[in-house]
Amino acid sequence: MVVTRDILARNNVKVFGSGTRPMLFAHGFGCDQHMWRFITPAFEDDYRVVLFDYVGSGKSDLSAYSPERYGGLEGYTQDVLDVCAALDLRDIIFVGHSVSGVVGMLAAIREPERFGRLVLVGPSPRYINDPPGYVGGFERSDITGLLDVMEKNYIGWANFLAPVVMKNPERPELTQELEESFCSTDPKIARRFAEATFFSDNREDLPKVPVPSLIIQCSEDAIAPPDVGEYLHRHLPQSTLRVLRATGHCPHMSHPEETVEVIKEYLAAGPDA
Amino acid sequence: MDELLNTAPCGFLSFTDDGLIALVNDTLLGLLGHGRDELVGSHVESLLPVASRIFYQTHLFPILKLHGRAEEVYFTLRAKGGAEVPVLANAARRERGGALVNDCVLMHMRQRDQYEDEILRARREAEEATRAKDEFLAIVSHELRTPLTAVLGWSRMLRVGNLDERGAARALEAIERNAESQNQLIGDLLDFSRIISGKIRLDVGRLEPASVIHAAIEVLTPAADAKGIRLQSVLDPKAGPVSGDPERLQQVMWNLLSNAVKFTPRGGRVQVRLERVDSSVEITVSDTGSGISAEFLPYVFERFRQSDTTTTRRHGGLGLGMAITRHIVELHGGTIRAESPGEGLGATFVVRLPVMIIHTAEPPAGATSGPLTPPGGEGARPPALMARLDGLRVLVVDDERDARELLTAVLTQSGAQVTTASGVAEALGELRAAKPDLLVSDIEMAHEDGYSLIRKVRAAEAEGGPRIPAIALTAHARPSDRLRALSEGFQLHMPKPVEPAELVLAIANLCHSRRQ
Repeated sequence: MVVTRDILARNNVKVFGSGTRPMLFAHGFGCDQHMWRFITPAFEDDYRVVLFDYVGSGKSDLSAYSPERYGGLEGYTQDVLDVCAALDLRDIIFVGHSVSGVVGMLAAIREPERFGRLVLVGPSPRYINDPPGYVGGFERSDITGLLDVMEKNYIGWANFLAPVVMKNPERPELTQELEESFCSTDPKIARRFAEATFFSDNREDLPKVPVPSLIIQCSEDAIAPPDVGEYLHRHLPQSTLRVLRATGHCPHMSHPEETVEVIKEYLAAGPDA
Repeated sequence: MDELLNTAPCGFLSFTDDGLIALVNDTLLGLLGHGRDELVGSHVESLLPVASRIFYQTHLFPILKLHGRAEEVYFTLRAKGGAEVPVLANAARRERGGALVNDCVLMHMRQRDQYEDEILRARREAEEATRAKDEFLAIVSHELRTPLTAVLGWSRMLRVGNLDERGAARALEAIERNAESQNQLIGDLLDFSRIISGKIRLDVGRLEPASVIHAAIEVLTPAADAKGIRLQSVLDPKAGPVSGDPERLQQVMWNLLSNAVKFTPRGGRVQVRLERVDSSVEITVSDTGSGISAEFLPYVFERFRQSDTTTTRRHGGLGLGMAITRHIVELHGGTIRAESPGEGLGATFVVRLPVMIIHTAEPPAGATSGPLTPPGGEGARPPALMARLDGLRVLVVDDERDARELLTAVLTQSGAQVTTASGVAEALGELRAAKPDLLVSDIEMAHEDGYSLIRKVRAAEAEGGPRIPAIALTAHARPSDRLRALSEGFQLHMPKPVEPAELVLAIANLCHSRRQ
């Protein structure tokens, strides 16, 4: 049994805000909790905001990483549940971006008593097309291409420099540079996260999700196209679909006002909206 | 846009936070083959192939948004017609004209991209090799420890002293057997390291393969009998002599036969056939054992490979035997191949060695002993026939005494008159005084090297006049070393350690061609 204190450090958990009802924000692949900073100010007054980094991302404890545990979304789901248990969160409003939408659903299926609502920003239950019935947006080869692009972007620093940088306290500018670089700190971890994300298929889990959810779909999103949003809406019980004017895959960063507005409306409307 | 930026030798692109392209310079338009009207106002994602689009959305966009800049980012752009152009980008998010824009400088990197692909491939291969070596090390430690455990266990029982006479005899026998088996393992390891460093040497002579096969069968008969395996041989005595190292070829036979016995179950059969096929001698070892799967067959002769690398491997051993075997066969100018109809269906190994074409005379009595055996003694026995250097004057230059003495012995035995020098200055003096017919010089010497010597020698020779033949004898054996030696003025480059016969022959040839 891992102690609470260790989980909070392991997942770099940050808690703030003057409300009591927890609002737990889970970042997506490629980034860390900083991605939420454009919208969390809008919820600080009314909620207890909880931010964290998945193990392997941001400033999490890399020594807690294991390729087995994080080889699939179950490991990431366990991170969410660990954080919930460490803070004893109940009636949570879970906000998950992209792959974390599915992680939130899996967490709610496993421990329904903790979750009140799910807010899913650009979610997808399966990224790869599955003809004839399902359009996810990608072919397998596209994802292999992504892994190649990622690998080449990590050539420069992560593979060869990162270990040196970490052990170079007399050169703080290097560490600074690292922090400003990609949010995933280790290329092998990032690759595995990408595989866990883009090769996942959670369509069969959708009907089992026991709590109401809001699907936030951008009008043009290369990663979670509108077809996927509609598919989710059809298969997720108690779901609400809102299509934003915003385009792209990160409306909480590119169009924070519209995103905040949609979430607030949903939360204000009550559970049966 | 400023003309300087428009024609700068790198692509420039600016897009709004919404991803709409606001500016693009001529250089980028030229690179991608698009017209300005096609790009300005369209979404930046339309320029990105799928993989790069995902990368932009999951990495580049968040970085720009969070940190305001991104450096050395790799992705590809789609050119008109669909071709992908790999680029390296630096990007910065800034305010211009009251709006936030993302400025990107793009350098195309077609060749560098290929180069990086190569590096990545090499790294993956290196990682794979390291993994194989780690696995091999684990096997080595395990295999070395297994006989040791038996030796220690039995020795302790002997010390405690409660074994009866028969028990003690059995204990000693087990200790001896296990020590032998460890000795064999270490022998394989040493051979293997010689293979890696290219230091394995043959002690070649005229050889009847049947005798080698007989010897190996004799050694393995008890093991085969113990397992109830029939060891049969069909040997054609007229298969013909080969030129080979008897000890090494016996090792080949021993490896093949002991493997066959090891992998053949009780009651099985192992057969050896020797026959003449065209201008080769073919030795076939076939068994009724566990066979080789089609997947593993291509890797049978690779280092570190054993078909079963799990911790519960049924058969001990290092998996080096076959790699060593192939190497030795190839050093003899032969080939080896493995065949098997599949797992459980037995295996056949076929060794082909070239038949010796010239029948050389038996070596003269006494030629196998004496100063020709170098210190350390690895395989430097004079061959059956050595050229004669009668009457030739040879100057040997080497800063190591042992090397000078060895070379003097070799050349004197062949009839040459040898003078020696331990350095460049001394050598130049000897050249003037002794007027040798040929110079043999080491390259790496203290103070002044062999290159310097040959330069001075060539400089002193009259333009168009006779040039003394010179051989560079050196441990620097790379092709580039050879090239350097030849271009500095040596006629011949011979890597150390050199076969005495080769050196003698080379000297004879050089002097002979000069006289003609």
